[in-house]
Amino acid sequence: MTRETTGRMLAGARWLRRRAENFAALLLLAMFLCFILQIVTRYVFNYPLGWTDEASVVCWIWCTLWGAVFVLREKDEVRFDIIYSTASARTRCVLTVITGLAAMVLFGIALPAVIAYVTFLKVERTAYLGVRLDYVYSIYVLFSVGVIVRYAGLTWRALRGQPPDIQIGSGSAL
Amino acid sequence: MNSPFAISICAILAFGLLGLPIGYSMIAGSILYLLLANLDLGTSAEQILNGLYNSYVLLAVPLFLFSAELMNVSKMTDHLLRFCDMLVGRFRGGLGHINIAQSIIFAGMSGSAIADLAATGRISIDMMTRNGRYPLSYAAAITAASAVIGPIIPPSIPMVLYALVSDASVGYLFLGGVVPGLLMAIAQMGINTLMAHRHNFPVEEPIPVREWPAITATAMPALLMPVILLGGIYSGIMTPTEAAAVAAAYAFLVAVLWYRNISARDTYLAVLNSARSTASIGMLIAGALVFNYVVTIEQIPLTVKGLLAGYDLSASMFLVWVNVILLVLGCLLEGSTIILVILPIFIPTAKALGIDLVHFGVLAVFNIMIGLITPPYGLLLFIISAISGAPLRTIIRDTMPFVWAMIIALAIITFVPESVLWLPRLLGYKG
Repeated sequence: MTRETTGRMLAGARWLRRRAENFAALLLLAMFLCFILQIVTRYVFNYPLGWTDEASVVCWIWCTLWGAVFVLREKDEVRFDIIYSTASARTRCVLTVITGLAAMVLFGIALPAVIAYVTFLKVERTAYLGVRLDYVYSIYVLFSVGVIVRYAGLTWRALRGQPPDIQIGSGSAL
Repeated sequence: MNSPFAISICAILAFGLLGLPIGYSMIAGSILYLLLANLDLGTSAEQILNGLYNSYVLLAVPLFLFSAELMNVSKMTDHLLRFCDMLVGRFRGGLGHINIAQSIIFAGMSGSAIADLAATGRISIDMMTRNGRYPLSYAAAITAASAVIGPIIPPSIPMVLYALVSDASVGYLFLGGVVPGLLMAIAQMGINTLMAHRHNFPVEEPIPVREWPAITATAMPALLMPVILLGGIYSGIMTPTEAAAVAAAYAFLVAVLWYRNISARDTYLAVLNSARSTASIGMLIAGALVFNYVVTIEQIPLTVKGLLAGYDLSASMFLVWVNVILLVLGCLLEGSTIILVILPIFIPTAKALGIDLVHFGVLAVFNIMIGLITPPYGLLLFIISAISGAPLRTIIRDTMPFVWAMIIALAIITFVPESVLWLPRLLGYKG
């Protein structure tokens, strides 16, 4: 691969990541606005809306699962890093390969059943908006595939001697 | 306990120890369990999706994160410093007291200790270390210790997580945290006074009374936040989740209309950072949802209950043991993992022993928050070390007196349930 193609691919990846971030931010903002709308219509206009509850919950599920695979960087993850952070770069690579393979295999084995579960829900619809539940839950399929691809990438890089960059004590909401 | 369960626990521990994020470790381990127990693997998706879909109360978590981000951007909290100086600056160790007082007020605005540290950490430390008045390590230690008050005084993200696993009322849990939070602040002020006399820390120039109204007025937008939040929840106007959204809207309006210091870019970054933290904590919740399903079908909480029944434990002995276990775990694990995964194992026993679940929740959260500043894994210690540049070792040394004082406060709220339950009962809790 020439340096130019690699550079172009990296730029493309960065562009995609920024769009993924835009979408996650949009989901969070939509969730927030649903709440505000709900509060205003209920208390100011005395006209409670049912669909806002539902829409905000859907945004929350999508924001979590979308964000987990497409937005979070390795250093944003909540992990037990006492062993990992003290290990040498070489050991880190070995650890990443082991956990990466385990994650790929287990999420991979579950994938057909996950797809079956989600497609089975095509008969159900959400209570207010009447959206097909398989559409709402399809994010989990995307999430599962994303996890497999992501750990494949991390494993591949670790095999070539590049462990992921993590910070000690990162990632928590407390 | 059969072998698929034992194997999956070992797998989760192994994945976690080797550095796989905890949420993924729990999901992967649970898939392994379903596989070995010949159950439908689609159950993993079902438990996570239905769990997230039906846990409306959890929406408070991203919303509280969002409001904290907005408050940080608007620098709303900077104006609190002078207000706190006016209140407690003139006592010995004044800046230490200011730091703690500021954390109490901020605790009423935000539900997260990390948000507290991010909002007030650097400016407090700069103020304390200017002209070498306080040692850097002490300034860092007291800032980290006082940030812990944040999630105990309402609102509180960890209490929302506890409400998810225990079905206790978020509103009463929040109320239950008020007295313990103040108790923790008093304990810390006691240590600060002690240290101030021992090391002869300076006293601040008293602020003339004629300046008080102006200082209070400048701090007013921040001071109103707890009033709006808690007033809204306890007058029955808003649910705690709606209050979280109102807090974010209020923080945004104050930044735009009052301080006028927020740009479109700042707003976008605040939204994006909240989305990122939401995904990070959401993965942990997802992992806990599917793992707790496995734990439930294996009837682990009931096994633990049966096991403990054999020892004829009294309620207070049980609480002592839970406290010791949580303090040890708090040194090693991230707090929300303990709340979501470990606490559900103890809750049925606590119920059987007649322990009030609001009392249990508040003391567990109090305990786990102490874990944020205990080594080797003390999240706030790492963050404050990064903010201040002080070596971790010296920060830990200066934090220890605060840890001991907080453990004494923990003992009080453990053995005097009224310290937690008095306020909720006053406002109608029937527990």
